[in-house]
This record gives sequence, C-alpha cells and structure tokens, in this order.
Amino acid sequence: MDILPQLLINSLITGSIYALVCCGISLVYGLLRILNFAHGHILMLGAYSYYLFNSTLGINFYCSFALSFIFIAFFAAITFKVFVGPFLNYNPILVFVTTLALSIMLESLVSIGFGVNVKSLDAGELLNSVEIGSVYITPIQMIIISSALFILLLVALVIHKTVIGRLIRALSENSSAGQSLGINSHYVYYGVFIFGSLVAAFSGIMLAYETNLQPLMGNSYTIKAFAAMILGGLGNLWGTIIGAFLLGLVENLSIGLDFGGYSLPAGYKDAFAFLIILLILVIRPQGLFGRTYRKA
Amino acid sequence: MLDIQGLHLTLNKLHILKGIDIEINSGETVGIIGPNGSGKTTLFNSISGFHQSNDGKIIFNGADLTKLAPYRRARLGIGRVFQNFGIFREQSLVENILIALETKQSFWATLWPWSKQNRINKIRALGFLRKVKLHEKANEKAASLSGGQMRLLEIIRTLAFGADLFLLDEPTAGVSPKMKAEISEIIKKLKKRQKTVLIIEHDINFIYGFCDRVIVLDAGRVVMDDTPENVRKNPKLQEIYFGTKA
Amino acid sequence: MEYYLHLAIITCIYLILAQALNLNFGLGGMFNLAHVACYAIGAYTTAILAVDYQYSFLICILYSGLVASLLSLILGAISLRLALDYFAIGTLSFSFIISALLINWKELTRGVLGIPGIPRPEIYFFDLPSFNHFITIDFSSNYNFLILVFCFAVITNLIFYFIFKAPYSRALRAQSEFVHASQTLAINSTAVRLWSFTISSFFAGIAGSFFAYYINYIDPSSFSLQEMLFVFSIIIVGRPGSFWGVIAASIFLVLLPEGLRFIKILEFTNEGWIWIPIPSSVLGPMRQFLYAFILFTTVYINKGVLFPTQRKI
Repeated sequence: MDILPQLLINSLITGSIYALVCCGISLVYGLLRILNFAHGHILMLGAYSYYLFNSTLGINFYCSFALSFIFIAFFAAITFKVFVGPFLNYNPILVFVTTLALSIMLESLVSIGFGVNVKSLDAGELLNSVEIGSVYITPIQMIIISSALFILLLVALVIHKTVIGRLIRALSENSSAGQSLGINSHYVYYGVFIFGSLVAAFSGIMLAYETNLQPLMGNSYTIKAFAAMILGGLGNLWGTIIGAFLLGLVENLSIGLDFGGYSLPAGYKDAFAFLIILLILVIRPQGLFGRTYRKA
Repeated sequence: MLDIQGLHLTLNKLHILKGIDIEINSGETVGIIGPNGSGKTTLFNSISGFHQSNDGKIIFNGADLTKLAPYRRARLGIGRVFQNFGIFREQSLVENILIALETKQSFWATLWPWSKQNRINKIRALGFLRKVKLHEKANEKAASLSGGQMRLLEIIRTLAFGADLFLLDEPTAGVSPKMKAEISEIIKKLKKRQKTVLIIEHDINFIYGFCDRVIVLDAGRVVMDDTPENVRKNPKLQEIYFGTKA
Repeated sequence: MEYYLHLAIITCIYLILAQALNLNFGLGGMFNLAHVACYAIGAYTTAILAVDYQYSFLICILYSGLVASLLSLILGAISLRLALDYFAIGTLSFSFIISALLINWKELTRGVLGIPGIPRPEIYFFDLPSFNHFITIDFSSNYNFLILVFCFAVITNLIFYFIFKAPYSRALRAQSEFVHASQTLAINSTAVRLWSFTISSFFAGIAGSFFAYYINYIDPSSFSLQEMLFVFSIIIVGRPGSFWGVIAASIFLVLLPEGLRFIKILEFTNEGWIWIPIPSSVLGPMRQFLYAFILFTTVYINKGVLFPTQRKI
C-alpha cells in the first residue's frame, strides 16, 4: 500500500496536464459547439517552438517562453481565421475535418523540420526528484501542479466574476442571444481560442521538460481531452476539468495497482481512456455532470 | 380515431403540455390554433413520437402509441407535414415520393434496384406527382422548388405513404397566395377521400373554409373546442391572441 | 513493371475500402472514424488465420469480413444512437482501442513487431474429369494477385453500385438529411444506419484481408490515423455519396504522391549545388501533408454543399 501516495501524486500530475489541455478545448466547444482536433497539436507546436528558441537558437528561458507564446498566439489566430471561422455556419463536423487536416499538416511539417526522432530539453536541476514524506516529486512536476491550479483559478475568476466571463457564459448558452445584445462575438471567439491555445502551449512546454518531444505527442492529448470532455459532459467546463483529473487518476491506478497479483501492462494505459469514453457513451451519454444531451 | 387523454409533456424543465384531452373522429378536418408557444407543434411532435410524454395516453385506432418509436407510429398510418419542410432537398422529386412508397418492402428487397415492384413504384410515384402538376420537374432536386411546391410535394408524399391521419403543421407558412389556394384545394381533396386531417394554422380565415372543428390551445391547455363559427364568435379568442378583452 | 503492378494492386484495395466508407459516410452521413480499425481487424484476422492456422484463402477473407462487421455491430449498437460529434468521438475511441490492442496484445498480434510471412493465397480446383488431382492457381506472383484483387474490387464495386441504385440508399440519404421526416415515413433510421455500418465494415475487413495477403507482413503502424484521413480525403474529394466520384478519387489520390518522387530539390554538397530527389524520410511526411492539404482545400471550396446540417424539428 505504500505506493498509493506516489500513485496519487502521479495522477495529480497527469490530471493537471489533462486539465490544462481540456480547458481550451472545452471552452471552445462550449462557445461554438465544435471539436478542435488540432488542439493537442498546438500543444506539440508550442513545445517545438520553445525547443527551437531555447535549445536550437540558444535564447534564454524567459525570452524563449515569451517568443513561443507570441508565436502560438499568432498561430492560433491564423488557425481560427482559416480553419475554423469560415465553417462556423455549416455542419459542425466540417471543423472537425479541417482541424483534423490541420493536425496532420502540423505533424508532417514538424516531422520534416525537426525529424521524427524524440527530442529532449535540458532540464538540469528541474528533474532532480525531491523526497517529501514517502513520495518523490521533481520541481518541474511541482511547477505543473501549481501552475495548473493557478490557471484554473484564473479561469474560474474570469468566467464567474468579470464582464468578459459573463459574456462568454451568455454566448455559450445562446449565441444568437449574445449577438443580439450587441456583442461582437467574434472577438470573444478569437480571445477564447487564443487563450486555450496558449494554455495548451504552456502545458506542452512543461511536458517537454517533464518527458520529451516528438511530433506524434499531440494526438494522444487531443483524444485524452475528448475523453475528459465526454466524462464530464461536452461543453461543461468544470465537469470536464473534474473529468480530466478523474482520467489521470484512473489511468495511474489502473496500471499501478495490482489486482490480486495481476497488474495491467503499462501499454494499456492509453486504451483505458478510450474504454472510458465508450462506457460513458453507453451508460450516460450526457456525461457525469452534464444535464442535457442531444439525441441523434 | 385519435384519442389523446391527459397528455403532459416537459421539455428542458418547461412544462409545455398540461393535460391535453382531444378526441378526433375518422374523416374529420380539425384546425388547431393558438398563440406562439401554446404547444401546437409540440403536440404534433408528441403524436409523431419525437417527444416522450411524461403522463397521459395517445390512442390511435385502438392502438396505444405512448411507448412506440416514431417509425412504428408512422407505420400505423400517421403522416406528418413539417413546418420547416420535411422533404429531402438533396433528392429528386420522384425519389421523394419513392421513399414513401418503398417503406413497406422488406429490408432485403430494398437492396435490389431492378425489381418489378420498383418499376411499379416508379410509375405510381409519377402518377402522384402528376396530381400536383409537378411531374415535369420529376428528376430535379427538391431544393429547386418554391416553398408552396415543397408543401404540395410533402402533402402528396404523405398521401403516397398511405397515411390515414395527416398532421399538417402550418401548411401555408412562407407560401405565395396563389399556392395557398392550391394547398387548400388539396386539403379539400383529402377531406373528400375520407382522410382525417389536423391542421395547425395562424391564418384563421384560411381554415374556417373547410374545417369541421377548431381547437384553440393556450399555454398547453385546450381552451376551446367548437365549430368554426362558434369559435370565431367567442370573445375569448381575441383575449388569447391579443391579451385584451374584446 | 513491378512498380506499376504494386500501384495497381494498392489502388484496387483502396477502391474496396473507399467505396465501403462511401456507403456509410457518403450516403449515410455517419462520421465513422472506425473504418480503418475495421480494415485493421480484417488484416489481422487474415494474418492470424493464415499464418497460425493455415486456413485457406476464401475462408480467411470471409472470416475477416465477418469479424470486422461483428465488431462494428457492437460498436454501432453503442454509438449509432449518438449525435454527430459524440458519434465521431465514440468511433475514434474505438479505433484507438483497436490500435492499443494491436500493440499490446502480444500473444495474439505480436505487438509492434507485427506478423510476418503471410502466404500468398492459392485456390484449388478439382480436375473435373477424373476428380483425383487438383489444379492449383497460385497468386504468389504480383501479376496473378493483381488479377485476383481486381476481380474482387470489381465485384465489390458492382455490389455497391446496386446498393447505391437501390431503394435502401434513398432511405439512407433521407435519414442523413432529416431524420425526423424519414421516421414519419416509417423508416427505421437506427436499423438503416446499423446496416450501412455493418455492410461497410464487412467490406473494410475484406480490403484489410487483401492488404495482408499482398504486403505479406503487417504491423500496427499501417493502420494509423493518417490512413483514416487518407480514406476520408478520397470520399470528400470524390464527393460524398457519388459512386463514380469516389472511384476516380481513389485512383487519383493513390497515384498522386507518386509524382512527388520526380520532384528534385536543390541541395548544397561538396560538389556544389546539385539537384537530388527528395529523401525518403521527408517523402512520407510530405505525402501526409499533401493529403491533408487537399482535404482541407476541398472542404473549403465545397463547404456549402458538403454534409448539410441535420434539420431540426
């Protein structure tokens, strides 16, 4: 039983990353009812742009952080302009297709530019694990957890306490009502999309320090975010974030705990998320915390 | 023929139908009027089976519909004309009619394109189109039709389907005056064929011409159920529509 | 010559695969992301049956189709009642489960190493007058195999041609456009969708079986998301629901990246600037990029006519 605290910490770390990824994707779904398949690839792109500035060009930590953020903000704006905006008045599945195409384009471009091999950032001190009680944790993991909490708190404050937040909530509930209030909803869409992409890029950079970089890393995060969304209810931000932490917990416990001498091989970790999606879709399609569900 | 008893329906936490009791006899033409949001279309949707009612019963020709799926209700002979055009715009006119004719075949029969039944169906479909003078456009996409023509196509498709009860949801909405006359002609023809017709309509004068009965709905309840003359005379009608006493 | 045979065989396999998806996605409007998973299931069924149990060709093909359609029946029962975006996520997660199983269920699929040594099919005939010895047709040469797979592609496409002309396709298109209206015409929309799902998975399984027989060696990397995107681009470029369009698009898109081989790039070496062909490590990603780009531009141009939104009541 002594590995349980370590498992809980590990699931908190995984959950934090998932929650950061979900945050943007779920906000965008809530506003526009579209699934952005390229979200995980924006995470990947953020990590690679940081790698380019920091490791290849040798710019220092803060500057490369700022530079990659600026780059991702521009990129997200262009993505919205080209791959999302023109299709908003049509079947929402079109955006799924275009962002799927975008994700493959990004993956292939990064593969051409950086090669398909795994790259890693020099984290130095940040990876030396510290022992606290019976658990080991590295400084970078502490940064991940604390920054996730900080960002989620910030989102909560903005959504529930400010004018912009009220606007976002109004538009999420009924976009035509929001527009009739004289709101230029496009600015809100751009803002939310860019914010979500920046959060994803941030978690990408953290992930690059924590593990490594490879062009294929985006896919699995997109689909994990979808799993968390289905778990918490599509478009329900807080449900999704709870879903993200739950997903992290389930993944780590499923392979960490042994069930009477038999433990699942680590390779099945990913399959678990997808199994959860299917199970939820059978039992409760509106998600654990969702209220309504549109039937086919 | 159609017997609705104490129908209650809640959608998205809104109590829309609050105990509807309606009895329709075979061969009647009944108009349903009422202000916006009084639950007319919702009533039709629950007869067609798109909403599961919370309470109450719908009995059609002796069969209890309450738990049946929409397509099973349709099989019993309930036809529907939608407010926002139920035709399939991407398919040609003749295909629209063919869909209605083909639903009685078994699944395996529908996989084979060149059967005798299909040839007969095609001839029948053209016959139905001729009735509403749309046969010249038979192979054009239904999206190319005008609003009134779409309505005619949908009504004739429901007839081809073999429905006994016609639920017409605002058949004159978005239709030119000339086509309105044609639609009223075809409704009169349905009446002659002993079909039962339920019409939702905003244009009260349009339905007074041929309805046997008019039912007035307000806020999810039946407030009047009488002959058209009596309903027109009743001062409550103005009150419901304009919120003022006449 | 061998190279052209290879291209022709691959084209034939994609003709089966794409036309099968066209029924489901093109006509039925179901955003089925599990199609390549069914293709993988077919390929693995054939590989396992042919290598480990030495089953004969026709039985392998039949089983591949049946296993794929059976699994899709289960998936369909789960997911076909879902709305469009939920359905996409559900089928996507199914395909990820399948690929996780292919990688991790090492006792059955041998993991990432894949299954090598799938024998080319042989068909035996009795020598009619005497009944005492066989005539064997051997498909180990690519030329013979091409004839076999071409025949199957033609048969499959004929079957789909019938289905596309048949009343069933009208019901399928009707439910994709306005499900409520189709239900008031007594169309059981769930059954119609489930059938199209099963039929397309059956033929996807058969396509996978041919793929396994042709390549002789399969591993999980052949059935990735990129593959799914490629099949989708075939449908979208050829216009969803159009029989001939999809045939043309599968030929066009399979052959298109071959043009990339002839592109030369300028590179600086110790002999100065010279033109060299694109290295193969770049060729793969470039091919993916090309497909994704074509998919995006096609969707952009045809955004008004592709997938009309399901009308609401």
